Amino acid sequence: MKKVLAAVLACAMMLSLAACQGQDPGSNNNDSDQSTAAAVGTDSNASGEAHLTFSWWGNQIRNERTQEVLDMYSQEYSGVTFDVQVSDWGDYWNKLATASAGHALPDLVQMDYKYLKQYADNGMLLDLTPYIESGALDAGGIEEGILKSGTVDGGVYAISAGVNAPALLYNKTLLNENGISIKDNMTMDEFYAVCKEVYEKTGVKTNISYGLGENYIDYTLRGQGLELYSEDGKALGVSSAEDLQPYFEIYENGIAEGWLVSPEIFAERSIGTVEQDPLVYGSSPDARSWCNLTYSNAISAVWAAADADGIEVEVTTWPSVDPAASNFLKPAMFYSVTVDSKNPDEAVRVLNYLTNSVEANQVLLAERGIPASSVVTEGIIESLDEYQKMAVEYINNVVTPNSSPISAPAPDNSAEVLELLDQLQEQVCYGQITAVDAAEKLFTEGNKILAE
Amino acid sequence: MNIKVRNGIGKTIYHVIVCAVGLIMIYPLLWMIFSSFKETNTIFATAGELIPKEVTLENYINGWKGFAQVSFGVFFKNSLFISVVATIGTVFSSALVAYSLSRFKFFGKKFLFGAMMISMMLPAQVLMIPQYLWYQQLGWVGTYLPLIVPYFFATQGFFIYLILNFIDGLPRELDEAAKIDGCSRYKYFAKVIIPLTVPALVTAAIFSFIWRWDDFLSALLYVNKTEKYPVSLALKLFSDPGASSDYGAMFAMATLSILPVTLIFIFFQKYLVDGIATTGLKG
Amino acid sequence: MNQPKQRNQIAKWLDQESVAGVVCAFPFIAGFLLFLLVPMLISLYYSFCNYNILSEPAWVGFANYIKAFTDDPTFYQSIGVTFFYALISVPLRLVFALIVALILLKSTKATPIYRALYYLPSIMGGSVAVAILWKRMFAMDGIINTLLGVIGIKTNFAWLGSTDTAIWVLIILAVWQFGSSMLIFLSSLKQIPASLYEAAKVDGAKPWFRFWKITFPLLTPTIFFNLVMQMINGFLAFTQAYIITQGKPMNSTLFYTVYMYQQSFEFYNTGYGAALAWIMLLIIGAMTLILFATKKFWVYDGGA
Repeated sequence: MKKVLAAVLACAMMLSLAACQGQDPGSNNNDSDQSTAAAVGTDSNASGEAHLTFSWWGNQIRNERTQEVLDMYSQEYSGVTFDVQVSDWGDYWNKLATASAGHALPDLVQMDYKYLKQYADNGMLLDLTPYIESGALDAGGIEEGILKSGTVDGGVYAISAGVNAPALLYNKTLLNENGISIKDNMTMDEFYAVCKEVYEKTGVKTNISYGLGENYIDYTLRGQGLELYSEDGKALGVSSAEDLQPYFEIYENGIAEGWLVSPEIFAERSIGTVEQDPLVYGSSPDARSWCNLTYSNAISAVWAAADADGIEVEVTTWPSVDPAASNFLKPAMFYSVTVDSKNPDEAVRVLNYLTNSVEANQVLLAERGIPASSVVTEGIIESLDEYQKMAVEYINNVVTPNSSPISAPAPDNSAEVLELLDQLQEQVCYGQITAVDAAEKLFTEGNKILAE
Repeated sequence: MNIKVRNGIGKTIYHVIVCAVGLIMIYPLLWMIFSSFKETNTIFATAGELIPKEVTLENYINGWKGFAQVSFGVFFKNSLFISVVATIGTVFSSALVAYSLSRFKFFGKKFLFGAMMISMMLPAQVLMIPQYLWYQQLGWVGTYLPLIVPYFFATQGFFIYLILNFIDGLPRELDEAAKIDGCSRYKYFAKVIIPLTVPALVTAAIFSFIWRWDDFLSALLYVNKTEKYPVSLALKLFSDPGASSDYGAMFAMATLSILPVTLIFIFFQKYLVDGIATTGLKG
Repeated sequence: MNQPKQRNQIAKWLDQESVAGVVCAFPFIAGFLLFLLVPMLISLYYSFCNYNILSEPAWVGFANYIKAFTDDPTFYQSIGVTFFYALISVPLRLVFALIVALILLKSTKATPIYRALYYLPSIMGGSVAVAILWKRMFAMDGIINTLLGVIGIKTNFAWLGSTDTAIWVLIILAVWQFGSSMLIFLSSLKQIPASLYEAAKVDGAKPWFRFWKITFPLLTPTIFFNLVMQMINGFLAFTQAYIITQGKPMNSTLFYTVYMYQQSFEFYNTGYGAALAWIMLLIIGAMTLILFATKKFWVYDGGA
């Protein structure tokens, strides 16, 4: 017994001592197997061999397709292998942030508009401008506005991996049954009219991005000719609290007039998941919504969920006092190369492949959104399923001709502002605070947070 | 009614009540298991009905496929390796330290006990980044080492304290007797204390295994190759808020994931059953 | 020829109480120094800095701590929520754990299964399935309301939607998972020598008497242990609130650690988050010291 103990302790001590002879801390994470501590990082050498790490968040479908594409790449450019790191959304950013603290970011990462500015400003991402200029990264097929969306302070830090647009998905079956029709580019008044009519005729209510405040407030403000954030990101983009009132009034009125889904419903669900959205889920009419303000990427998923519920779904634009000013094209996500990459050239080559290879995108099939390159989109359009075709059509025919450039990327501390926004929205819906007070609070507190 | 019948009725009532309440207790677990046999799109729609109308195995097939040609079997193997090794380390090192804190006076003992308590009072999330930076210095990022080695060093105060509490309950007369017999303290530990604390060791082993099995934070930060993922991390591959999550596959794999833990519990809890005879005074 | 003597001397020295104590405690000493101390010091350092992970920390002294106490109403709110949660769920858990442990003490053929049934909930803690199901159960059209309807209370109250009751949903979840405490009580109950009970029975003592005079006193060390551990865990509770309510509605279920996590990893105010963590450590430390101070009044010391 004692011998076993001694052996166990000795093993443990040996393991840790062996580990202490580790390697230099700056190396990145393409490391060893479980039995030895000494890591063997393979860097690229002159003959073009490289081992890249690529991380993204996603689901099984994305995982499988992307892995297939990476395998295709490895076959074409032999000597290049990949380590893939996949997580879900929340974990992804935790891991990325931690890795950046240790200067051990993967070579290629999936990036989001929400965090783009933060990572770019803090020097975590590689500026791709030299590569675009030299032609190593072909940006020819990418529309200027989309390329610009990955630009921060003049440098291109991210390439759109898929284009998206705000899309209002609505219950066509219900509207048809009740003789209600809607059109594209609704104004707020037209929207309200539909909401009330639906509620009166069927008891089905409306959900306007509850709990996802960041989606709709931007849109509303743009319709008023304003932006949520100021140019330098150190304050809100509105000059007075009154400008923020219309947004809160939407909810205040909705609750008062009874056609807005009450907030208690949302406490019982996971906000933001497709299956639990009131459009497709809820056991009584007042727990349901006739519409879902989401993005065009979600069309397939929403269709599937709606279909299971026996509902047919159609797509149109989010309502606004000025739809053309509000609407925009949004990269659903980006690809970026990080500064910790030891093989930036190779990483850019992969990026180029992902963005411009029609073959690769035949596999990816617009899972991340409509491809940034219109050449690629043309090339794969026949292979897309009908919902994605719907999305392409929507983006090309409805949104693009009637929209404005996307707002600047969110500044530092914006997450805290958005959390405050969600809380205020909640309070308005619960009747705890008036729209006027909510606007006031958002104005003062929001400015304070951003000024830090 | 004679005593035998009364006892019989009493026993039956006991069993019925305990069983019924027990089933209510595990209703959520049953729901998850049954849902794993439903078609994934219908899980929410039919959440109120426990028994699936149509039983399907497709969730298990889909889920087992895992990701990128790495089947869930690999993930299970990884989890098993990590959990078993870390548990062995935890139990033995914690027992040793508990013995020391229970029986010996030495310089710095109070301080040590304090350090042990304090180490339990910091939320794990706040140590995430500092630990990562530290392990980077050691060169352990990208390996299983951070998930295993610290446990050989009794870094989880809970287990030390648990076993300590138990050893405190053992009679000191045994110590005296052993000393008179010329038994060294180390031998005493191995030959007497360990056998007598088997219930506590088993309890610690069960807890440790479960905690290691469920821990995904360390795996998230330190395991970089997908084929090295443990189950706790792999389960998250199924959920993607915003697109549709494959709850069916997630529940299927989660059901399988509960199995080892349940089996370990059922197997080991008989060591809890056998009482200790503290007739060791003669030993 | 001196070797055996030398070996003997070393062995003797090692066997001294003060030396053996350190040797046996060595794993933790080493572990603490190797794996815990440095990260803890780093996080303490962060708490005195402005740190947003993506750039280097910048020293600001006590600013974070001052902000927490003077400029952050959510701080106080989350402390209130956490105290409420811990001070209610912990005693409830322990009471259930003890009662059920006593009930399941005897070994019939079915006992292993029963014990598993009562223990399993506690291992499902962080699972998404439990989160989904719990929300469904307490939904307006959920099982709880249906059951209430069966016994005559017709309601479709939104348990999770109301600020008064949402926290209770989490408390019930915590109490449902009493299995882990029960397990510890079981193993301790088994430690009580049967001979004591036999002697008492021979003396004609009734079961209730036996419980209070034998079982309970001998169990007090374990009760104390469970109390301290569960209290610490109660204050550090995170997963359930994070995946079930995210602090809603209106922060009525915002556990302290969830708030700290929000600050550290969603707002990237990581320095502030670290300060919050250390404040909580001080609070828990103080509570633990208080508990330890009461120990001599009610915890039976010494072996069987």
